[in-house]
Amino acid sequence: MTVLERTRAPKTTRRSGTRRGPSPLGSKWTPYLFLAPAALFILVFQAVPLAQEVYLSFTRTTLLNPTRSQWVGLDNYDRIFGDPDFRHTLLITFVYVIACVVGAVGSGLVVALLLNKGFRGRGVARALVTVPWAAPGIAVALIATWMLNAQYGIVNRFLDAVGLGVPGGAILDSPRYALPAVLATTIWQLFPFTSVVLLSALQAVPQDLNEAATVDGAGRWATFRAVTWQVIKPTVGLLAVLMTIWSLRRFELIWLMTKGGPVGATETLVIDLYSQAFDSKELGSAAAIGMVGVVISLIVITGSRLVARAVEKEDVR
Amino acid sequence: MRRFRIGLTARIIAVLVVLGVAVFPLYWMLVTALSSNADLFADRPRLVPDIGHFGVFVDALAEGKAAGWLLNSLVIAVGTMVLSVGLGIPLGYALSRFSFRGKAVLTLVLLFTQMLPEALMVVPLFALFRRFDLLDSLTGLVLVNSAFVLPIVALILKGAIDGIPRELEEAARADGGRPFTVLTRINMPLIAPSIAATAVIAFFHAWNEYVFAVTFIFTPELQPASVGIANFIGELGTPIQTVMAVAFLFTLPAVAFYLLAQKYVVSGMTAGAVKG
Repeated sequence: MTVLERTRAPKTTRRSGTRRGPSPLGSKWTPYLFLAPAALFILVFQAVPLAQEVYLSFTRTTLLNPTRSQWVGLDNYDRIFGDPDFRHTLLITFVYVIACVVGAVGSGLVVALLLNKGFRGRGVARALVTVPWAAPGIAVALIATWMLNAQYGIVNRFLDAVGLGVPGGAILDSPRYALPAVLATTIWQLFPFTSVVLLSALQAVPQDLNEAATVDGAGRWATFRAVTWQVIKPTVGLLAVLMTIWSLRRFELIWLMTKGGPVGATETLVIDLYSQAFDSKELGSAAAIGMVGVVISLIVITGSRLVARAVEKEDVR
Repeated sequence: MRRFRIGLTARIIAVLVVLGVAVFPLYWMLVTALSSNADLFADRPRLVPDIGHFGVFVDALAEGKAAGWLLNSLVIAVGTMVLSVGLGIPLGYALSRFSFRGKAVLTLVLLFTQMLPEALMVVPLFALFRRFDLLDSLTGLVLVNSAFVLPIVALILKGAIDGIPRELEEAARADGGRPFTVLTRINMPLIAPSIAATAVIAFFHAWNEYVFAVTFIFTPELQPASVGIANFIGELGTPIQTVMAVAFLFTLPAVAFYLLAQKYVVSGMTAGAVKG
């Protein structure tokens, strides 16, 4: 039953003869009138630029003379995949994305389970937990950089006080600690989102089932696996996909904290593509690097849909 | 009974730790803004804000640059909010209520845009903006920010309209109401909370946006706060108290609005996400 059929229907009813019969707006063009402005907008500012990037990835183009492109086929792709630095970037991206997914979904689940039981002040607690998610990324990068400051940062002062201080204290300048620091900041910003989403998923867990399982003598872990996990599984999967896509495109937090350094220790695909475009001024290889990220996202989305469909079938059986 | 008590205590402690972790960085921003130099660089830093230094906020705004940045951010954010919600409502309505050729493709495109990094799109958009003389203008930023937040706005509103029974519209339509009138008179009042949520999302998307602003704006007077604050990082000239005061003023509205609209924003975000 569609509105389209409905708008034609009046012709045969007694209303067809009335003053305001089916107007031209009620024709098959109606939906297009509603969506045309937005669609045009997305076409101009998203689809066309993306197509240009795809084209650029097959050319040699420099930022200094961007209107002059030389078609080079797959050269850019050949070059980046042959470059050990790019393979390192892929590795860093992989580590960053996996750690974000596991960290954000894992901590979100723990916090959601903590806040799921009723207690006084739960409403306030739930509101306060969302603060990191609401804070602008720029402000987060700034305060994280200040807290991690080698001399006066509160993190170093604390680590020194408990005897875990990093020698010299420059966490963001250390190839070893920069990535964990950026990851911790990212996960700090993401966990409110995952926990709030999981919290609403937990509302669907039937309490009587939980109680029944407990009465039957099942331990907490077994109850969780048998009841809670079954209900929230799809949400966990959805969040994992979302976190993957978001982490693959995250720019400003990493860029402002480390610019991808030191020596590439935090250089993800997006950071690499930005410095290729604006430092090395190589728009062609920058576009190719960007396409690698887009293709990875596409594979993750498609793969997750296939898995979800397979799981659904399994459940029906 | 005793075991229950221990469990409860452990839970309360765990919740307090989580809340501390969640809130501490912003608290620390405030403490830093309100510290004296002596406090900042002392061996034992001050852990509670010194209200006596409240003047730092007044100075930060009076000094000029910061107030201008925040004003630019406000203009960009309001423009983006109006444009993206204005375009998103009819798009969401079309997706929810009509069946038409290309609907599946359009939905797919909306979801697909969610994975495009701004850093990738900045080069072709720069070329486009140069051709249409939109560089170094707040209008240009409103346009590009609206385009980037429009898909999520439209998907959330589609979900909201899906939840309205069609019978309500059919009655209005039978009385000769045109589709657009039906949308504005019947649907929009009913999805007002979702419209508010998408307005908050769109506003702060633009308020927080950095990549396009830093690339497309050259005139310092046109810089939004995101760029101005980002320039503080690694720069040594400005006192850290001023930096933190400006950053705090930039952060506060975002946090306050999200807390106020939280219920709707979260249900909207998950609805949009689940549809994906």
